[in-house]
Amino acid sequence: MKTFYVNVRYLIVPVMTVLTIYGLFLGGIYAWTGVFLFGLNIILDTATKNIHLRADFDENGNSFGIKTFQYIVMYLMFPIFIVLQCALAWNLYQFTTSSTVAVETLVGAILSTGLWAGLGIIYGHELSHNKREGFSVSRAIMALSGASHFTYAHVYQHHLELGHQNDPATAPRGRNVYWHTWLSHFGQSKFSFDLEKQKLERHNKSFFSLDNKWILGYLYSLPSIILFVWSGGIIGILALVVVWSISNFLLEALNFMGHYGLIREAGKPVEHKHSWDNDNLFTSWFFIEIGRQGDHHVRGETYFWELDEVGAPNYEIGYFTLFLLTLIPPVFRKYTQKYLDEWDRNQASEAEKQIAKDYYEDTKHLSNNILVV
Amino acid sequence: MFGLFKKNKSFTAKLVDYNQEFVVEPGDSLLTGALKAGLPWPKKCQVGSCGTCKCKIIDGKTRAEIDFSYVLSPDELNDGYALACQTSLKSDISVAVNLID
Ligand code: FES
Repeated sequence: MKTFYVNVRYLIVPVMTVLTIYGLFLGGIYAWTGVFLFGLNIILDTATKNIHLRADFDENGNSFGIKTFQYIVMYLMFPIFIVLQCALAWNLYQFTTSSTVAVETLVGAILSTGLWAGLGIIYGHELSHNKREGFSVSRAIMALSGASHFTYAHVYQHHLELGHQNDPATAPRGRNVYWHTWLSHFGQSKFSFDLEKQKLERHNKSFFSLDNKWILGYLYSLPSIILFVWSGGIIGILALVVVWSISNFLLEALNFMGHYGLIREAGKPVEHKHSWDNDNLFTSWFFIEIGRQGDHHVRGETYFWELDEVGAPNYEIGYFTLFLLTLIPPVFRKYTQKYLDEWDRNQASEAEKQIAKDYYEDTKHLSNNILVV
Repeated sequence: MFGLFKKNKSFTAKLVDYNQEFVVEPGDSLLTGALKAGLPWPKKCQVGSCGTCKCKIIDGKTRAEIDFSYVLSPDELNDGYALACQTSLKSDISVAVNLID
């Protein structure tokens, strides 16, 4: 029974994505299913903000997670996301060819697709820490959102540079989520570009080689582009731009929330304190434990169902709730300041405190109770 | 996180400079096996990006779980260097590494 519970609880996204697809095919008001579910999740996440569970192990320390089952689900998400895009393309086709789809239906379909393509990125992230076939599925899932560069940048840059200014995915204090989305997205793409350039130079190969994973990554996105051009022409392209913008915004919002304002001295090891944990019940189950960032960044090879509470700094609310706050930067900054102050006082090393202090002095945002250096 | 299905054979890794050996369980990386055996193997990122866990496979068959060419030079690749955190074993092996003092 316990094994069933531990494994099935992570099926919220697959089930909701399928419901979203079903809504897209039903059309009309049902095309908004994905948006409705997103709103519902905010409520569920907020309602469970005080429930924090630990990872489940038996008396011998073995996890109840069934690896084969979880991997089949993760791999299956790739065709499910393809069907999601096809469902939107079908709506676009109807809209442009026979006008049987109303404008408000199309808008609902585009928003629903963007939101669930974005939430699906959690599987692209999880599989990016896998080898060979898992890594390739990760690239393919990310390519559906035009973000295949993420897989390399996440592993080769973010996990190494986290908490340092060299990591575009770490948001320094004061940055807002909108600006972060641009900087992080293009920063990671540039990193992936440079990584390939260096690798190919070292191996005496041309930049325009089939070994160039940066170029290949973007080529993997071509089928999506072709699908949307074919189904909707200019409107199809606009729809794809909206879908990709939403999905990449959600991806970068996760990066933003995971590390905002935390500081690591260059060259020092990544510790639990360098990531924020968001581990209330709904966030943990929905985001397949991606919110256990503290543990994940120290044990990057660990299966998500084995990640646990490790004493990392904790915002005490889930991702959906926190995401709402990030949308209004002054509110987000106000909410997070007390946690940053606490981090500076209790977790930061002397050097990290100094970096934080310099930041506040530079930006004249010094809060009264900060930094007992 | 090695692949979809568990392989069920464990192998032994022998440290050539230390006269020690340890078992690597199925599904574990070379680094994980060493750490489980309590060896002070150098490590940092554990995702194959920093190169800290670099070692040289002297003998035996291994499988690179990710592309090492981002971290190791062509010469190192030719000489049999590997990243222990991203290496699985296909047979018993002998390996050279500088353990942390
Ligand atoms: S520990 Fe960083 S490459 Fe293995």
